[in-house]
Amino acid sequence: MGNCFKSSSNDDISLLRGNDHHDPALEPAPFVEPPPPYRPQQRMPIFHPSPGVSRPANQLTEDEQIKIAQRLGLINHLPTGKYDGTNKKAKECVICMNEFVFGDELRYLPCMHCYHRECIDDWLMRSFTCPSCMEPVDAALLTTYQTS
Amino acid sequence: MANIAEQRIKREFKEVVKSDEVSAFNIKVELVNDTFTELRGEIAGPPDTAYEGGKFKLEIKIPETYPFNPPQVKFVTKIWHPNISSVTGAICLDILKDQWAAAMTLRTVLLSLQALLAAAEPDDPQDAVVAQQFKENNPIFQRTARHWTCAYAGGPKSDKELEEKVVSMKNMGFDEHKARVALSTKDWDVTRAAEYLIS
Ligand SMILES: [Zn+2]
Ligand SMILES: [Zn+2]
Repeated sequence: MGNCFKSSSNDDISLLRGNDHHDPALEPAPFVEPPPPYRPQQRMPIFHPSPGVSRPANQLTEDEQIKIAQRLGLINHLPTGKYDGTNKKAKECVICMNEFVFGDELRYLPCMHCYHRECIDDWLMRSFTCPSCMEPVDAALLTTYQTS
Repeated sequence: MANIAEQRIKREFKEVVKSDEVSAFNIKVELVNDTFTELRGEIAGPPDTAYEGGKFKLEIKIPETYPFNPPQVKFVTKIWHPNISSVTGAICLDILKDQWAAAMTLRTVLLSLQALLAAAEPDDPQDAVVAQQFKENNPIFQRTARHWTCAYAGGPKSDKELEEKVVSMKNMGFDEHKARVALSTKDWDVTRAAEYLIS
């Protein structure tokens, strides 16, 4: 429960250390969309290099920029799709609590939970876990790379 | 307020209002203003705890970045609990800090706070004095917490002895709340409590 005397600044992005260069040959088939070039000023004005820290792009350290670029790359490896009503279990996005409507852009996490792409991408830039089941997304991704 | 935050709070507000916990008088949420940036929560003290019979009011502030960041919650009703400051009402609860997830709701938060009242975590304290008493003199802690529930949260009157000590210090000219804090801190020893207030 409470953990106020523990450091709350543990940086979950550091989980990505070392393992972040991907051999394109190892990437699973659905992840065809390549990560876009990293353009902080155009993509997102405010970044969250670690939990609780928010800073505009031009005030990030080089280290933080690298971490964010890596995070954006990983997020873009997660499959996306348009809502077509075939998945009967996924009816609403629990982040914005709106029901999915036909044509909504969705993103699927390795745990099979899905959200509006816009909603989940914003969350994943802060915390790389599924907001519903708390499954760490990067661990699952790296496992996917190893087994495929 | 960002659109998504306001939309969510509106939906959550409805969700809590029509939930079973509300009809059972377990949890409650009210609007403070019509911009949905601030709400007033209330939780009932869990049965078979020192908080039983009490109603605890909470201040809930919704950040612009909700639900990507947790709501800011503190106790308005004074409470004697290891994970809640007896001075400011600040709460030590991981889901209100780094364990927050965007799928959690106001209802999750209120039910988690209720669970915290039923199961304190004295090793991660918010109030060091209370946590020490909890660990080293638990019977006194239980009596003190029950007394505070009666004094501030409308809980049942039970402990004549403690009430009389507060009254005796009031008669010595001390402020009632300050006297209660001093007595609670000094394990209900009137002499030590008086020394504590004078020093
Ligand atoms: Zn959404
Ligand atoms: Zn999940």
